[in-house]
Amino acid sequence: MKKLHIVGIIVIAVAIGVIFVSLKNTSTYADFTEAISNPDKEYHVVGKLDKDQPQIYDPKINADQFMFTLIDNKGVHKQVVLHKSKPQDFEKSEQIVLIGKIEGNEFHANDILMKCPSKYNDNKAQIK
Amino acid sequence: MNNIQYISERLWAGNLGNAFVVLSFVSALLSCLAYYLSSKNSSFIKLARIGFNIHGFAVIGIIGTMFFMLLNHYFEYQYVWQHSNTSMDMKYILSCFWEGQEGSFLLWTFWNVFLGMILKRQLKNGEWEIPVMTIFALVQVFLASMLLGVYLFDYKVGSNPFLLMKEHSEFMDLPFVQMGKYESTARGLNPLLMNYWMTIHPPTLFLGFASTLVPFAFAIGALWNKKYNDWQKIALPWTYFCILILGIGILMGGAWAYEALSFGGFWAWDPVENSSLVPWLVMVGAGHTMIINKNKGGSLFTTHFLAICSFLLVLYSTFLTRSGVLGNASVHAFTDLGMTGQLVLYVLTFIFITVALLINDKLFKVSYVVVSLLLLFFGLLYGYKTILLIVWLASSAIITVISYYLYFPKEKDEEALYSREFWMFLGSLVFLLSGLIITYFTSIPVINKLFNTEFAPPKVHVYNVWMIPFAIIIMILIAASQFLKYKKTDPKKFFKRVAYTFVLALFFGLACSIPLYFLTNTEAKGVDTWDLISYSLLFVTGLFAVFANGDYFLMVLKGKVSKSGASIAHIGFAMVLIGALISTSKKVTLPKNIVDKKLTALGKDFDDRESILLTQGDTLPMGPYLVLYKGKKRIGIDVYYTVEYFKLNKENKPEFDFALEPHIQDNPRMGQAAEPDTKHYLSRDIYTHIAAADLNVDTSAKKKNGFGEAKNYVGHVGDTIFSSNALVIIDSLRSNLSKEQYEKNDSALEVTAVLRCVNTKNQSYMAYPKFIIQHNVVIPKEDVQNDLGLKFVFWKINPDDGTIEITMAEKLANNKDFIVMKAFVFPYINVLWLGCLIMAFGTGIAIIERIRKFKVQS
Repeated sequence: MKKLHIVGIIVIAVAIGVIFVSLKNTSTYADFTEAISNPDKEYHVVGKLDKDQPQIYDPKINADQFMFTLIDNKGVHKQVVLHKSKPQDFEKSEQIVLIGKIEGNEFHANDILMKCPSKYNDNKAQIK
Repeated sequence: MNNIQYISERLWAGNLGNAFVVLSFVSALLSCLAYYLSSKNSSFIKLARIGFNIHGFAVIGIIGTMFFMLLNHYFEYQYVWQHSNTSMDMKYILSCFWEGQEGSFLLWTFWNVFLGMILKRQLKNGEWEIPVMTIFALVQVFLASMLLGVYLFDYKVGSNPFLLMKEHSEFMDLPFVQMGKYESTARGLNPLLMNYWMTIHPPTLFLGFASTLVPFAFAIGALWNKKYNDWQKIALPWTYFCILILGIGILMGGAWAYEALSFGGFWAWDPVENSSLVPWLVMVGAGHTMIINKNKGGSLFTTHFLAICSFLLVLYSTFLTRSGVLGNASVHAFTDLGMTGQLVLYVLTFIFITVALLINDKLFKVSYVVVSLLLLFFGLLYGYKTILLIVWLASSAIITVISYYLYFPKEKDEEALYSREFWMFLGSLVFLLSGLIITYFTSIPVINKLFNTEFAPPKVHVYNVWMIPFAIIIMILIAASQFLKYKKTDPKKFFKRVAYTFVLALFFGLACSIPLYFLTNTEAKGVDTWDLISYSLLFVTGLFAVFANGDYFLMVLKGKVSKSGASIAHIGFAMVLIGALISTSKKVTLPKNIVDKKLTALGKDFDDRESILLTQGDTLPMGPYLVLYKGKKRIGIDVYYTVEYFKLNKENKPEFDFALEPHIQDNPRMGQAAEPDTKHYLSRDIYTHIAAADLNVDTSAKKKNGFGEAKNYVGHVGDTIFSSNALVIIDSLRSNLSKEQYEKNDSALEVTAVLRCVNTKNQSYMAYPKFIIQHNVVIPKEDVQNDLGLKFVFWKINPDDGTIEITMAEKLANNKDFIVMKAFVFPYINVLWLGCLIMAFGTGIAIIERIRKFKVQS
């Protein structure tokens, strides 16, 4: 059984390796304050759309840029530049997760996940 | 809750349904107990069988009642109200049935009953009937409890699909419910599920999930009876069946995502996808160790472990995707039906049963059971659930290892290095390990919850980076191990045999992958040289797997199809991976090539675009095409956008190639959903979907040069007004006279508002609307900013608070109809779909062959 023992050890080593490597490199959920203090790191920021602030989307200039303001879970407002086209039913979202980092005064997001009320219940559906 | 029956309420349906729900639970419980008792006293077996039959009848009764309610629009019932309405196409009624959790649990229950009935016949009076059917019935007890919807000590057990709207806690207080206006408010089906894939994907997938129960039930039965060697030959065709059906189900989900969803691909490593993939991976491992066991003996513990794990992982993924624990980790929004505790208990119970059965020593077993129950009660009463759970799981894992060493039969000889079983076993472990890693990545939200951490779920790229090495190893194992014999092989002969196909694969693989990955650009984000090397390696090893299995099929098996299930399935699997690799890594974003140079100069972010703006009537270059947005039309709730594709012919003139009609479903209750349209070629797909567009089809009334409705804005100097295309800053106010001069003289007062309009390109334009008073009459002088199409009228000054009022109107032509479209090319994606078919075909042959062999033996 010696060979299999070696195999077993390799399997366990890979498993532990994956846990450590991935936890070290993974981005974390954070609020804007934390993202500002660590501008080079990518964060997932959870928050709500600030409906009083303007949303700027002009596809004639850049169809892949959309600006709005997000209020994070601590209540901090921040201008967001999303490098994607404006998602459908954006205004109806009740929660937004942005993936990106702080650049200057803005939060630049590469990706957005939205949660809409009642639209995407329990079954498979997708919004990006 | 009130028991008043309103006119037109059809309470009988709910009563009937609930009777079936209770019957299905009670009969499953009865059948489970009777099967268990019949292991001691065989007279119970009749009762057990009857109980299971009644359970099957009740499940079909529940389903029949629900379909009756859906088909006849009994909107007073919450499930019908939530998942259907009168305006939808009735061909999607099946999707309505399984859109909700209760419906999908029912689907699962139904397939379990279906498989249970077949097994019951197959195993009748055999030694496996009692243990296997006890497990089946026990699982049915749990599944049936998911529909009960009763309260047990303040704790809700199950979610009942026959709840009336007025009984549902979420809806009972709403005005339309109290007025009984159900039909007009019915929510209807999620627009994305209105797709033909959605009528076949869920039943296939759930049949796959249900069939993991068969090997599980045998493995548990084997632990119970201590007969570790006898069940594999009966269970092997079932295991292959599970691999086939679950595999098809997963890939159908991919096909649906590719066709109906707009994330631009067929696989996104989403928790829902992962949680169906992982049981499949583990089941493939189990299938292979079972062959080892059958042909050579041994691999007993691993076989049991994998067969049990696969089912436990199905349970775990049910917990992941149904309990709401994923929260914002997934783009899928999961509703929590308040069954988290129940689902956890479900998973833990089956882990508990497995571990308890592994222990052979009576005292040891009893103490494990007692300690587990004590921990459970302590946790429920006093909290510390996380710590207790971890302690329990860890000790269960340790006990598993200990009982393996103490009680489990082990092989005496070490497997030879040049033996098929050794490498096949290794392959099974690789499948298990990759499944565990995917599970770990998917479980990060659970880890966050347990340890109060804040880790974000990994991105697609992370999954790819980790999974490609596993895929490479698997490809090599698939290619080479068939040429090894069981027990012992002559290494010289083996290497000689394999070398041909390897050299061939290396040659073709490098000839294709070097130009693909090193001589042309690969646009996927964040890809480095290591990734490219791993892509090339996967390509080469994938070809190796295809060639070697083709060689084995033609030369060793002499092209005999009935014996070649494994080779054919392996070729299919390798093709799936090659197709996925090329179509994903060489995906081309068409709008990327049309970047405006002025914009790229502004910063790196601007060349990252993946969308193209098409104004109606304009023709724009996009990749090798010229595209023209022709117009839109509305059919029902769908708005179709016709986009024509032209190619330059030899005389350099555009020639019509094809037209695509991506559409947006404008669902009045659910909002908008973009659905792609794809042009399929043999070698590539051109995939497009609308990212943003005006859904309003009637544009004839708009005059091109007119202005829209003016809006009034009140503000100070320094304030900003937002138009659709610019920020308008009130820069300053200039006046020709001072206040005194104006009051003394009779001349006109002229105040100019200096407006600085900054568009999204950061270019400034000025506008100067004037406010003029002469003889106490206000005569505003408008100003039109032509570049931006904005008209300003400065018409009021409020001396009290120093604010001014300006109206702004936007040119209607600003809103000339346009669409924002995304377009990708997926090269060689047909290799993937063809691979699926071949894999399914090969697995099907293997099932038939195993059944035949099993019949010959017995």
